[in-house]
Amino acid sequence: MKLIKILALALACVLSAGIMFGCVSDDGAEGGSAASDVTEITIYNNKVEIDEALKAFAATYEAETGVRVNVRTAGGDVSYSVSLKADMQGGTEPEIFVLEGPSGFADYNDRLTDLSDQPWVEDTTLEYIHEGKVMGFPVSIEGYGLAYNMAVLEQAEIDPATLVNYAAVEAAFAKIDSMKDELGLDAVISFPASGGMTWVTGLHNWNTYLTNGLAYDDYSVADLMMNGEVDEDRLAAYARYVNMLFKYSDQRVLLAGTYDDQINAFVQQKTAFIHQGNWAEPNLYGAGMDFDVAFAPHPYLDEDTDGIFVAAPSWYVVNNLAPNADAAKDFLAYLASNPNGHDYMVNQAGMVPAFDSVELLPSGQLSQSMLEWVAAGKIYNWQQYRMPDGFGMDTLGPIFTQLANGDIDEAEFCARIAAEVATLKQ
Amino acid sequence: MSTYKNKPVFWLFVAPCLFAFVMVMIIPFILGVYYSFTDWNAVSMNINWVGISNYREVFSNPRFLHSFYITTMYALLNIVAVNVVAFALALLVTGKLKGANFYRSGFFIPNLIGGLVLGFLWQFILNTVLPSTGSVMGIEWLRNLMPLAKPNQALGSIVVVSTWQYAGYIMMIYIAGIQNVSDSLLEAAQIDGATYFQRLRHILFPMIAPAFTIASFLTLVNSFKQFDVNVSLTNGGPPKTFMDMTVNSTDLLALNIYKEAFTYNRLYSAQARSVIFFIVLTGVSLIQVYFNKKREVEL
Repeated sequence: MKLIKILALALACVLSAGIMFGCVSDDGAEGGSAASDVTEITIYNNKVEIDEALKAFAATYEAETGVRVNVRTAGGDVSYSVSLKADMQGGTEPEIFVLEGPSGFADYNDRLTDLSDQPWVEDTTLEYIHEGKVMGFPVSIEGYGLAYNMAVLEQAEIDPATLVNYAAVEAAFAKIDSMKDELGLDAVISFPASGGMTWVTGLHNWNTYLTNGLAYDDYSVADLMMNGEVDEDRLAAYARYVNMLFKYSDQRVLLAGTYDDQINAFVQQKTAFIHQGNWAEPNLYGAGMDFDVAFAPHPYLDEDTDGIFVAAPSWYVVNNLAPNADAAKDFLAYLASNPNGHDYMVNQAGMVPAFDSVELLPSGQLSQSMLEWVAAGKIYNWQQYRMPDGFGMDTLGPIFTQLANGDIDEAEFCARIAAEVATLKQ
Repeated sequence: MSTYKNKPVFWLFVAPCLFAFVMVMIIPFILGVYYSFTDWNAVSMNINWVGISNYREVFSNPRFLHSFYITTMYALLNIVAVNVVAFALALLVTGKLKGANFYRSGFFIPNLIGGLVLGFLWQFILNTVLPSTGSVMGIEWLRNLMPLAKPNQALGSIVVVSTWQYAGYIMMIYIAGIQNVSDSLLEAAQIDGATYFQRLRHILFPMIAPAFTIASFLTLVNSFKQFDVNVSLTNGGPPKTFMDMTVNSTDLLALNIYKEAFTYNRLYSAQARSVIFFIVLTGVSLIQVYFNKKREVEL
């Protein structure tokens, strides 16, 4: 009996000790790596699709400079912010992470580093300025509009250059709709308003309400919104346009479609238009797109609005609470100025850099079309990220879905949007 | 415990578990309650005490009230569906069925698949497989079926999927209960002329009342905490109108709290919701166990 008791006691000791040593040895491992001489920085990446390219670039960078760059990738915007927060709560501070607009910059204010003295600031117009200082490095530029299949529009004898006001785009949609059989189409546009796709409606499409026809630095409509008010005439015109897009959309894609469904409908030439931006290129070409495409505007006003929506949607920021913030600044400078950095951004990651010194051209036609609009100076801003987190996708998005499935009409759509916008007044 | 003399040994055995429990349950719980009275957003270093304003906001929020309502509806439907199906399956595989063991494991297997995977699987079935089956076989209503785009059908779909997943597990509990009922009782009743349903109603049900207590407790808690299937199957959608507002029709409580925390970035308000959720869930399950216990019989 006594023996058993002693044995039990010993086992219990081992168990307790195991826990204690488990913690200690963990700390020991961390201390060990910090003690070695290699400077390490961690970049917290939010794009799954560029993970491999970024890791390859990080290896190149380490070979040239001796600074080790760890790439951590967390996909999708929701899980990105979740895992970033979890890491920071757990005491791990990455040197570089991604922010997407005013609410992010406000939330992470304590960690931001002033980058105003960095060499790349001269080379771009899209740096993020927070409280008067340059705080964000533009990751890339992205653009969207009504992407169209050139051959289909040609066959329907529609000149895309004329799609600059509501009357013209409405007439074009009606014409294509009437010719669906000869063109081999199921519907005019591939445009989902289903649950998982509210980023297309509640963010990108809604941004056309905020910026269409306005000068690039004109924030009047967005400011009005953040003050809890809507421009009723503009909203009515916008609702009329959204309803028209819904009417001519492939109904299955509209109501139950996923991203893949949306892409496939367009790639299989079942629709003439798709409501996506140049970021969808890898998916479009991956699904076998072999026809010519370009962007047209989202012209919902009666007067002409001749431009597409182009901006830097996200920025790298340097975390001043992380151990090697200065090494992170050098990394970003290298990325913006070195040919290796340009090659990585354009050719490996398939992005369109926001820096004037980059001379490489993107290979995708949508990106090329976007750059033509940029060169012509016909671009409107992205201001949807001025809204609080979740407002566009999770508060406005479902209202679009209800308009799409016929639960509410245009007037009710405007009323509900106005009611939700009213809650934004501080 | 009071008769146990060797206190140091007792505490040594408890220590590992206690340590883990305190670190991952008790401390986070207390922190969570504390944060629900602040404006904490998980990022900022400034945390300000705001009193009960988070709770006040939560109770006047139509979306949260709707979420509460819809979760209750879901829980009721799901408890009934899971238990009925599980009990029926248990009767089936404890009967004189050939290959009963094979069926037992067959029904249990969906429970081994993660809820997220199941959700995406069924989303594919409901959105793609059913309509294409409909168009191949020329069945018009099946082709136009979009259950995940209709509020009530979407909630029903979650019930179906979670029943499919969970019934096998609850079935095991019922099987264990049924196997413990001595055959002599049932045989005696049979000789006395009791029909199958009389034996079921007057002998089997009272005898396996403990199994009912456990099964309904598990399904109750599980239904209220439904998250993974919800997230992957509908992610809250499709929207519907509630109190003149657009709300998500399958926005169950756990998902509502998750979204409040991680898409709206209002962790303080999400913490307040979690505390309310905890109190309600504890209350409901204690009441349920109390009433079920009263029905149990001792031999």
